[in-house]
Amino acid sequence: MEPLLEVEHLRVRFKTKSAVKAFIEKDDDPYIDGVMGVSFAIEPGRTYGLVGESGSGKTTVARAVMGLVPVDSGAIRFNGENLVGLSRDRVKPFRRDIALMFQDPAGSLSPRLKIRSILAEPFRIHDKMPENLSVEVARLLKMVNLSPSMGDLYPHQLSGGQARRVGVARALALSPKLIIADEPTAGLDVSVQGEILNLMARLQNDMGLSFLIITHNLAVVRHVSDHVAIMYLGRFLEQGPTQTVFHHMRHPYTQALLSAHSSPDPDTVHHRISISGEIPGLVSRPLGCEFHTRCPGVREKCRRLFPPRADAGKDHQYFCHYPLSVSEN
Amino acid sequence: MAEPVLDIRNLSVNYLTPRGTVKALRRINLQVPSAKVVGLVGESGCGKSTLISAVIRLMAENARVAAGEIRFTGKDMQQLSPRDLRAIRGRDMSMVFQDPMTALNPVFTIGRQMADIQYRDAVSGKEKLKRAADMLSLVGIPDAVSRLDNYPHHFSGGMRQRITIAMALLVQPKLLIADEPTTALDATLEVQIIRLLKDLQADFQCAILFISHHLNVIAELCDFVGVMYAGELVEKGSVRDIFHRPGHPYTRALLECDPSVIAEPTRFLPTIPGEIPSLIDLPEGCIFYDRCPGAAQVCKKIPPPEVSIAEHHTAACHCLEV
Repeated sequence: MEPLLEVEHLRVRFKTKSAVKAFIEKDDDPYIDGVMGVSFAIEPGRTYGLVGESGSGKTTVARAVMGLVPVDSGAIRFNGENLVGLSRDRVKPFRRDIALMFQDPAGSLSPRLKIRSILAEPFRIHDKMPENLSVEVARLLKMVNLSPSMGDLYPHQLSGGQARRVGVARALALSPKLIIADEPTAGLDVSVQGEILNLMARLQNDMGLSFLIITHNLAVVRHVSDHVAIMYLGRFLEQGPTQTVFHHMRHPYTQALLSAHSSPDPDTVHHRISISGEIPGLVSRPLGCEFHTRCPGVREKCRRLFPPRADAGKDHQYFCHYPLSVSEN
Repeated sequence: MAEPVLDIRNLSVNYLTPRGTVKALRRINLQVPSAKVVGLVGESGCGKSTLISAVIRLMAENARVAAGEIRFTGKDMQQLSPRDLRAIRGRDMSMVFQDPMTALNPVFTIGRQMADIQYRDAVSGKEKLKRAADMLSLVGIPDAVSRLDNYPHHFSGGMRQRITIAMALLVQPKLLIADEPTTALDATLEVQIIRLLKDLQADFQCAILFISHHLNVIAELCDFVGVMYAGELVEKGSVRDIFHRPGHPYTRALLECDPSVIAEPTRFLPTIPGEIPSLIDLPEGCIFYDRCPGAAQVCKKIPPPEVSIAEHHTAACHCLEV
């Protein structure tokens, strides 16, 4: 099937100094790399999961797709059309088809607006005011299992789960084809987390929506996404169909990340692949393979050379000089 | 069992608000034995934070202890003067907070802050810094002596949480209260912090009251677990009792909701339908009646008694088969 969204060799760089300062300090490369050449595709009606620790660049990828950060190089094709380099006016119609659910459910709702006005805003911005706004707002609220009377409330009167559902309703306003959900369940209780994910699954079934889900919660990704990418310092270290990556992972970071998740059983003996330390900052990006500073199987070559892309099967790729053998997992 | 470090008996706490009295905690009975880790699980709004603030006696202005008592190493916390309370806090009882970014003062060096909290000890400043450095290396901060001169922003999130743990243990408390200490951290760091707490607890032999909504972490770290719902302690028992033989329907539902226990990938996850009841107009009978899949007629009218399921394992439910 033709992919809905296709990202190719996407690279995002952030400037660290002004041009003058860089000139004075003779720094001919005053940039840090936020995203270093990632490629992935999302088919219509499918869910793609982006997993990684804080600072791995997940949100930057999402913001680049939304056109909220300038892209250094690469292509972002939506329905076949490359959005990189298009003028603001020409991107705008595509922006209607891509909606964003923000990370902080309460913080992303303006405290001064009633829910009704918050839900009307996408229409206003895109000049698509429906004839009867209150009917439309009621319809949106109903879609996310909230009562239409909630339109009269302010965000601080909502619980965390309700605020999250308003975020979903706002994303749905312009009937998008793709929804980017940044940590859709962060900060929610387990019993409410299920409600939001079930709601998203139902909407996907009913409307054929595609989702790009950004999360660090592997337990959630395992259930909801068809494909998954494991991100580390702006690169996809491993990507592929969720089941393949979870059960036949080849990259040691994937293995470590999966083994870090404890199970809710006091008697489990954890066979943890321990990785020490923390994700290095973007400013001090390690040479060679970025993961070598924490990798349990690091060898000399890893410190010098970034590994080439390796294919492990259909749609399953990883970047590692010394991958785990298939029997190891 | 020897006398517990912390003994909470029949505690009820109310908040006085313009809309009415919020009965935030009702008849809580919880003991923390010395040198054991007791976990408290529950979702938002269940009263975990109110319970901690009652224990350290730092409650909001509109909070009132309506009934019950809190005994810490035998002393009744309500009878103590503010001066006596200050002598306990940060000495016999210390705390690790959820957010390591805001728990440290950004304008002082780590060394200064770690020396300052030893203000009660009549030792030289040099000795205090030495203790601080020893503690930092114990919690796994490399090159501890030189890092005493660093400010909090020089450290990463995981490091900062290690520092707050070091500071909490520096005073050799009898009870450490940890309020969601790993919630703000990534999974790989969470594992490191839990392991660290486990090791240090074994070394220092202090009791820990560990608050979390993360079941997996509770299962890994704690000896005893209390499950809270809407201001009540609905079930308590040893960690194995709670996770292997949960009695209360809420505990069971909570365990089933955890996506990591569901082996087969599924698009539709279990939830607990409904909402927490209003704590101003409490329902007559069982607090979980509205959402309970097995609710009986009796549950609607009569509050459930605390039923003993096994030794140290109790649940508040009418429908338990013992």
